[in-house]
Amino acid sequence: MQNILSVLWPSFLVAGIAEGVFFTLIDPRELYLLGEPVHFSSLATYSIGFFCFWAICAASSAVTCYLLRTAKKPDDTDRGA
Amino acid sequence: MATPLAATSKPVVFVEQSLYQVHEKVYPRSVTGVYATSRWLMVWLTQVLFYGLCWLPWNGRQAVLFDLTARKFYIFGLVFWPQDVIYLAVLLIISAYSLFLFTAVGGRLWCGYACPQTVYTEIFLWIERKIEGDRAARIKLDANAISMKKLFLRASKYGAWGLLALWTGFTFVGYFTPIKALWGSVFNYSLGPWETFWIIFYGSFTYVFAGHLREQVCKYMCPYARFQGVMFDPDTLTITYDAARGEPRGPHKKGEAYKTQGKGDCVDCSICVQVCPTGIDIRKGLQYECIGCAACIDACDQVMEKMGTPKGLIRYSTEHAIAAKWGWEEIIRHVIRPRVLVYAAILWTIIAAFIWGIVTKPTLRVDVIRDRAVLAREVEGGMIENVYRLHVMNVSEAAHRYAITVSGLPEIDMVGDRIIEVPPAGDQTFTVQVRVPPESGKKGSNVIYFDVKAMADENTAVREKATFLQL
Ligand code: SF4
Ligand code: SF4
Repeated sequence: MQNILSVLWPSFLVAGIAEGVFFTLIDPRELYLLGEPVHFSSLATYSIGFFCFWAICAASSAVTCYLLRTAKKPDDTDRGA
Repeated sequence: MATPLAATSKPVVFVEQSLYQVHEKVYPRSVTGVYATSRWLMVWLTQVLFYGLCWLPWNGRQAVLFDLTARKFYIFGLVFWPQDVIYLAVLLIISAYSLFLFTAVGGRLWCGYACPQTVYTEIFLWIERKIEGDRAARIKLDANAISMKKLFLRASKYGAWGLLALWTGFTFVGYFTPIKALWGSVFNYSLGPWETFWIIFYGSFTYVFAGHLREQVCKYMCPYARFQGVMFDPDTLTITYDAARGEPRGPHKKGEAYKTQGKGDCVDCSICVQVCPTGIDIRKGLQYECIGCAACIDACDQVMEKMGTPKGLIRYSTEHAIAAKWGWEEIIRHVIRPRVLVYAAILWTIIAAFIWGIVTKPTLRVDVIRDRAVLAREVEGGMIENVYRLHVMNVSEAAHRYAITVSGLPEIDMVGDRIIEVPPAGDQTFTVQVRVPPESGKKGSNVIYFDVKAMADENTAVREKATFLQL
């Protein structure tokens, strides 16, 4: 649980920033999805956008977390550290 | 860890597996005093603004509305378009910089008085106290076995929290979609799926953060709490326990001349620990968990008053001041140090530039976009035509008629509207075909100009450059 939250929370913050920057610069009405203009309501586009950002950031945090946890600690090596 | 209940002889410590960390539940005791009053003032101020501002009308619309669908931000008389992102950027810089300055001068003033986390925790705690009683009653209630009374109290508390949280979520969404329409759609069950979702999402956040996580947000989740330490220096005002005066701590007997017996002013009543929303003991020195709420100052001052000793055993002071036993004048002289003056000067410069920028914000904006489909083509009469889309944005609060002309090449002319009308704070996109004879200009790209002028006001005019492709 703690791990899940320490992945989800920072990615939530970063996703918020990413969302703000992205949609300030890009109008959701000018986006294309699989070659078709996006036809959702703006609010839906913003929301879906946010959750995509969140998911991407969370994935990155999760990989970091996993790598850190499974890394060999310095004191595990035979040479010592 | 010190037991939070040193005063009642048996230490009761509830360790709960909370959402974020294993921690001891903190039961802040209510406190009154100068700082508690200023904290409540800030709660009122920020929340009257937050819950109220979205209902304020202005020129027939909502005074403050971040209209995401139309991609326009309204703040009273000002309308911001995506093109105005620079203002937002400068505003962010100003906020960050102010936070920096305030932290260097007064420590965690933001955390203690203005941060939504503190403010909502304060409100939720108030509800909790009204329903379940103060600290001792709440500790007892938690320890009690389940009974009808406990269930009832719990249900009322969670219910009241839930209502407030929902209202907060609703208000939040009301800043992004017009709140009156939103309120109407609640009643005829036509609330959109995403609006509903965000109301519940933001509401749940408020509920969990202010009701359950509380100090854990400050301790484990807040990035600012972690790095605020680097903005501190020995002349920063922080909540400080005057150990030289208080120690050695211990109870005093009535009328006892405790000083002659080598005792300090602290009577070790632990009230300062009981009122602390983060559950720390300020007498151990400055800790990063301390959010600077000054509750312990109020609490200790009351104790000191009762004991007949001077107030201020715990007080706002600086590291230097405590070491050198400075008075207020000396402290202030050191607080207003070169670093602070330089910060303040820079901050005021940016603010002045920002205000100047807002005041001189253009009231008309034009974007010229070449038609993507057609580059250049020959039309009737052998003329060469290029097609453009003009996006005319009326950033003023009045409707305007604009005249459009094109220039830059011999015999240049345009087909399409020459006069357009744009509503207040509105915009219009329309297509114009620009034509020149084939001998006009050079082969390839030529520079041309579109002039857009407000018909009622000579000074509102914009000239936009564009390229014309000659065949
Ligand atoms: S409230 Fe004041 S007197 Fe009481 S324990 Fe805290 S510091 Fe000492
Ligand atoms: S130590 Fe005092 S100022 Fe710091 S959080 Fe606790 S009560 Fe507030």
